[in-house]
Amino acid sequence: MGSRGLLLLKGATPKHQILNFGRTTAFTPKLPIYFHHKLCNYSTTTRSSLEPPDVPRLAETARISLTPTEVEEFAPKIRQVIGWFGQLQAVDLNSVDPAIRADTETDNVRDDTPETFNNREAVIAAIPSYEEPYIKVPKVLNKE
Amino acid sequence: MASMLFRTIQTHPFLLYPTTLLRRNNAVLYCTLKSAHTQTAAQEEQQKPPQIKGSPQTRQAKTKTLDKISKDYETIIGIETHVQLSTLTKAFCSCPYNYGTQPNTSICPICMGLPGALPVLNSKVIEFAVKLGLALNCKLSLNSKFDRKQYFYPDLPKGYQISQFDIPIATGGYLDVDLPVEFGGGHRRFGVTRVDLNRAGVPLLEIVSEPDMRTGLEAAEYAAELQRLVRYLGVSNGNMQEGSLRCDVNVSIRPVGQLKFGTKVEIKNLNSFSSINRAIDFEIARQALLHSQGEDDQIVQETRLWEEGSQKTVTMRKKEGLADYRYFPEPDIPEVILMKEYVDSIQSSLPELPEMKRRRYEKMGLSMQDVLFLANDINVAQFFDATIANGADVKLAANWIMGDIAAYMKNEKLTINDIELTPEELAELIASIKSATISGKIGKEILFELMAKGGTVNGIIKEKNLVQIVDPSEIEKMVDKVLSENPKQLEQYRGGKTKLQGFFAGQVMKISKGKANPGLLNKILLEKLNAKC
Repeated sequence: MGSRGLLLLKGATPKHQILNFGRTTAFTPKLPIYFHHKLCNYSTTTRSSLEPPDVPRLAETARISLTPTEVEEFAPKIRQVIGWFGQLQAVDLNSVDPAIRADTETDNVRDDTPETFNNREAVIAAIPSYEEPYIKVPKVLNKE
Repeated sequence: MASMLFRTIQTHPFLLYPTTLLRRNNAVLYCTLKSAHTQTAAQEEQQKPPQIKGSPQTRQAKTKTLDKISKDYETIIGIETHVQLSTLTKAFCSCPYNYGTQPNTSICPICMGLPGALPVLNSKVIEFAVKLGLALNCKLSLNSKFDRKQYFYPDLPKGYQISQFDIPIATGGYLDVDLPVEFGGGHRRFGVTRVDLNRAGVPLLEIVSEPDMRTGLEAAEYAAELQRLVRYLGVSNGNMQEGSLRCDVNVSIRPVGQLKFGTKVEIKNLNSFSSINRAIDFEIARQALLHSQGEDDQIVQETRLWEEGSQKTVTMRKKEGLADYRYFPEPDIPEVILMKEYVDSIQSSLPELPEMKRRRYEKMGLSMQDVLFLANDINVAQFFDATIANGADVKLAANWIMGDIAAYMKNEKLTINDIELTPEELAELIASIKSATISGKIGKEILFELMAKGGTVNGIIKEKNLVQIVDPSEIEKMVDKVLSENPKQLEQYRGGKTKLQGFFAGQVMKISKGKANPGLLNKILLEKLNAKC
């Protein structure tokens, strides 16, 4: 899954450029802030399919137990979803300025003014396992 | 930027540390460093001697070992610091946050991670991050974003932390540190790679240092300076006991000359500057021992815990490869955009920072010891500044604060804000002594009364009739009285036992109730004593 990389180059100038690994001639490694990211990988060889998911490992990272049959059942389905996302790789982005985020909404912050949530009882009541005053949670540490 | 800083620093140790050149044949110098009488990390070291292995002999043996190690191995230390911001509410919801409140009382659907609840960022978090970023001389990212860092932890209901991953809000800064060493006070500059906004719930800022530090003391002093900085800025209380300032330290060593970095070990559970110092020195010694026994493969990438009781680091968990946090951009939080005007207004409102304060105090002519003491605590520094703003002599003000006032605060377990004495009255007191209205001795008495009960210098002087007697005829009368009452001593004095002058002076002072001007008293006394010889 991690064989491709998206390189975002954000120089000192406000003008952004998107480049892929195959055309590094325009890439001057001066003040790069770049990220490569697994889910939004940008393909250098656009057509090739993404690496098939390692379903048992995925399940493990999500703390989900799957039987071998389920693994076999889910693998093609997950591959299909990734395939759909893979279609995005075909979009020509050469003339598009990269954005840090897709949305344009800004200034969505709040003041540092305390407000007590007034229906705490309902929240507490919805906790599957509560032992006043603590919430009990499944053991997740040192599982390995 | 980072590598440039790194190189700059690499050239420094030999210039700044005359001791590194001397260590070969002199282990004692290192001890001097540990016992330096200054009020910073080293001071804490002094106040809290290690409970178990604290005997001077073992300390010295340890020091010798460290000296030998520093000859053969290069230590590389980096620190990751989490600063809990002193906002009134949490980072992404309006739940109030106070240390020590009952469990699960300040909760809401957002911080509980309930489905459909959307986080909204606290603007104060950004403000504090910008403040700290600027104070650390960082380059700010005018556009930054949050990411999801996915892992499981009992207190992480959503299964991910809203954090910053690849575009932190501030990068590439540095922190100037004065090492509290007696021999000249080394000055070091440590690089900071990134300051990023971190962790949902209560807002934390993570400050990652460059691996610029070489000794436990340097690391402890870096942490102490960060604490000073966040307190000066008012972005955090910096309290290590409460966990408002947490330091995780990465230590690796490599044989001198080896290019490849050694395996790094992370140390957690460091609750004080002295534990940072000692944990690192222990870890260096542990790793060096494994190296020297050819067992360097036993040094594995792991997280170790510092055990205060046994003064040791012990394995907490070994890492099987790098954790896969599967970061991706946080869809619930929009991009963080900083306007230039916003950053400029914060920049212009920054207070005088510890480093600037120290340099200013230095220029006033104060000694390094005075400078480090006064600038260590923002409240003490402000008290001092206010005192001299009221016209007090700089050195005298420093002496009073570091002497009798500090001793009183220590005995009574009070901070400078708790005592009743005001900077105005301290200035008045100093002026009254300088103008000879009162004697230094009386001044001291007034000081203690002011600290305990408040009031004004002039009020106390009037109320207790403490004005210094500067009228020569009045003093003369008292001298005559003393001389006539002690004919035997007078005879002895005139017979050559001139040491008795002190006795007479004491007697006169006594009947003047400490108010006689000492200079005048001695002058008149001597005249009278020697008059008939």
